[in-house]
Amino acid sequence: MALEEYAGDMSMCCRCSACKFVPLQQVKGFKHANVCPSISRYNFHFYSGGGRLNLGYAGLKNGFQYVPRYLDVLYNCQLCGACDVSCKYGMDMEVLRPIQEMRIKAVEDGHPHPALETVVSRMRATGSMVPVAGRKRGDWAEGLGLRNALEEKVEILYHVGCLTSFDPERQKVARATARVLDRAGVSFGVLGEAETCCGGRAYEMGHQADFLAQAAKSKELVEKTGVKTLVTSCATCYQVYKVLYDRFGLKDELEVLHITQLLERLLGEGRLKPSRGQEITVTYHDPCHLGRLGEPWIHWQGKKIPGDRFVFDPPKPYRRGTHGVYEPPRRVLAALPGVRLVEMDRIKEYAWCGGSCGGVIDSNPEFAEWTAAERLAEATCTGAEAIVTASPWSEKLFAQVLAKNGGDLAVYDIVELVDQAV
Amino acid sequence: MALDKEIYAAFAGVVGEENICDDPALMPAYFFTDFAAVVLPKSTAEVQAVVRLCNQFRLQFRPICTGWTGFFRPGTVLLDLRRMDQIVEINEKNMYAVVEPYVTSAQLQAELFKRGLCTNLKGAGAQCSAMLRGHGHLDQSMGADDRNHLAVEWVTPDGELVRLGSLGSVGEWFSGDGPGPSLRSLISSVVPPSCTPGVFTKVAMKLYHWPGPTRYSLTGYSPRYLLAEKPPNMMARYYSFPTLDQMWQAEIKIGEAEIALELMGFNVAMVAANITTSNEEDEAMFKRLSQEVQGPGFFVIIAGNSPDDFAYKKKVLETIIAENEGMSLKSVEDPEIEGILLTQCTRISASVRETFRPGGNFKSIPIMGQRDLTIRWAVGAGQAKLPLIEQGLIADDGGGFFGWGVEHGHLGKTEIFCKFSPLNPEARKAVDAWAEQQSNRALEEKYFALTMGPPEQIDSKVGPALSNYHLWWYKVLATLDPNEVIPDKGVSKLHP
Ligand code: SF4
Ligand code: SF4
Repeated sequence: MALEEYAGDMSMCCRCSACKFVPLQQVKGFKHANVCPSISRYNFHFYSGGGRLNLGYAGLKNGFQYVPRYLDVLYNCQLCGACDVSCKYGMDMEVLRPIQEMRIKAVEDGHPHPALETVVSRMRATGSMVPVAGRKRGDWAEGLGLRNALEEKVEILYHVGCLTSFDPERQKVARATARVLDRAGVSFGVLGEAETCCGGRAYEMGHQADFLAQAAKSKELVEKTGVKTLVTSCATCYQVYKVLYDRFGLKDELEVLHITQLLERLLGEGRLKPSRGQEITVTYHDPCHLGRLGEPWIHWQGKKIPGDRFVFDPPKPYRRGTHGVYEPPRRVLAALPGVRLVEMDRIKEYAWCGGSCGGVIDSNPEFAEWTAAERLAEATCTGAEAIVTASPWSEKLFAQVLAKNGGDLAVYDIVELVDQAV
Repeated sequence: MALDKEIYAAFAGVVGEENICDDPALMPAYFFTDFAAVVLPKSTAEVQAVVRLCNQFRLQFRPICTGWTGFFRPGTVLLDLRRMDQIVEINEKNMYAVVEPYVTSAQLQAELFKRGLCTNLKGAGAQCSAMLRGHGHLDQSMGADDRNHLAVEWVTPDGELVRLGSLGSVGEWFSGDGPGPSLRSLISSVVPPSCTPGVFTKVAMKLYHWPGPTRYSLTGYSPRYLLAEKPPNMMARYYSFPTLDQMWQAEIKIGEAEIALELMGFNVAMVAANITTSNEEDEAMFKRLSQEVQGPGFFVIIAGNSPDDFAYKKKVLETIIAENEGMSLKSVEDPEIEGILLTQCTRISASVRETFRPGGNFKSIPIMGQRDLTIRWAVGAGQAKLPLIEQGLIADDGGGFFGWGVEHGHLGKTEIFCKFSPLNPEARKAVDAWAEQQSNRALEEKYFALTMGPPEQIDSKVGPALSNYHLWWYKVLATLDPNEVIPDKGVSKLHP
């Protein structure tokens, strides 16, 4: 849908400012009441969800002026969707959708962010969102004897994702995932060197056409394997296959699982029996793409009923962050001997973004690190020894910020803990 | 309408380059006007310096907090107080909290709950400033309006720093009226301008005892949070009555008995809005509740400090309700709904559901006065809404109004609003006409003065009806604001 189609939603913004904070029922004290990294960092109202809608609405009426400050606002947004959840606690209107469309429009109008354009060109050339640097995509699996889903029939395809495949520090998650699935006796395979980017991050960067082109390649590959289920250990890939592909009619009947959902299933079936592990107190960071943004897409078409209210025929079902993947990772952690979970103030649908969404790590690394540092400070308040997440992007950024700023927290991907316990 | 370079540099010299924006392309984010610039001061000293520059360059200015704000003239300099966001002090012994403008009510209340204390949040919502003046759901037991303001640190329109109340004499925050200078009559009014010219940079808010939990234990996900467990010694009910007079008698008796933590004269449309998560659910719930009630009603929360105290309050409440033939709404007795209302109506977290959700806008006439008289006025104003509802111009709330007594008394607030779509010019016109008619009716019947009126009405109607107070006000304002940097003589308008 183009931005124009959200004119009614944008006109509904009453500038109440609720989108700057966690849903008001969840404000637990002076600290950690904010939910929007962008306005928390840059303070002007136009960096908030509501402020963005006000700009979008004015732009539709009077034309968009791509002045440097406007572009700064546009690209300094994590597209994390926290504003969307907080607004929809009280209102019936879309917030994140028009914000995303404003970015797409800017790219279409010839105003991409130069750093993001570089990343997208790389994806076009290499099929990877991250630098390939002479490595091969399947290198991480060397010596593991994994099946190639294009060559052998398997039940589940493990989609590894760009960062986990290529980043030497993240490849441990791919190996841990493969080991755990193997121990549970899951019939799975990988695509090895043939795997390609899901394209989702290009979409968030505003490059919709590139996303669609890349998604078509990825979909074709997955179809070639004939699997009915795709599992991934990357929260972003999960959201892209599960939600974005569905939205654009690319998902078909494919079952898309995040590794935490599959692990929960395997634990429940007794196929994984965690028996050892370290005594450790951890806190869990809900990646935006697995949590609120991971809520399934709802296909709906309707018309506004003329008259006094913003209501539709048929009634419009809103995605409000209610149905994200929140419990599976927590149940997995609860099943691990010795692991004790303590929660942060901002969790689940109103979690503070980890900083690596919306292309910000490429367009403004300082803002990305600031956002992550806020999360790490919140994690430290819980008294946990480690922060556990389920996204390689958050894990990488957390580790990077801790290395830079110091701090005693350890950082784990949830699969690493499961791997240790089984 | 960007600033002249020299002026821009002067402001930037005070707040820093990163805390000023005068780019016209960004101004539409801030309400319906072209501001000359937005500046973000961090401290009282910066506010003073910015205000002095406004005087020097004869630029009109307005301060705001969270962003929900009025309509201003093009060319106004906006002081966005977002960076002044600290709780300066919570004084448990003397029961006050000193806050900067951008501390939200939700933050302060959450801190206070931990200490067995509470503050009266305003009906505008918990995202609004904790220092906001006005009325809220807890008026019944926790004061209201400027009565909750103790000492105040105030930057006047010409940039002078004035410390009001005990702050001005002994440097303490415990009192707004002395020892020390009291200018309460200048900084507070329920009649226009109804907002203080200049900037409050710190305010001591009066605190109250909180008998509830240190934190509500919630389950579920947004937008439907449920109470995991009802706190002991708390109860929420909605009572309807056969007649308006019986409702009022019950309200006044409950006040006299001083048993209610909260008495909100919600109409059922507002109950329906609070407990539902979408417009469609809201509509269905409103129909259901309308069938359940026998007439007008109100919502009550009682909270005991002990099981005995709770039992006593409950017994008194039930006796008063029975004596006035009140009937408890079964839907609200449902523990799930009761829990939602308990949390939402003490944390004021769903105001937009009642107001903005249906159509995107609402227009309100809030009035202060003797409740039984103002209720009579509100009945008329409600009946005048019915044709607009029939024409589909405003959302159907059955012609409802709401209100409550303050501090367990017979004086209180009564309010009525129309919810409509701002994109429908016909609806806006009809609502404006309704508001003008009903405000005029109020003035003619001399129950009270109207608020939120357009500036021209002060001179022509409100002032003359109230001993020409406005003439005195203008003289005071001329002294406070010699360079006329306060727009519209300090009168705030919600919409153009
Ligand atoms: S986007 Fe929603 S929450 Fe934010 S100001 Fe607008 S209406 Fe309020
Ligand atoms: S998407 Fe995230 S960063 Fe962007 S405006 Fe909304 S809450 Fe803020």
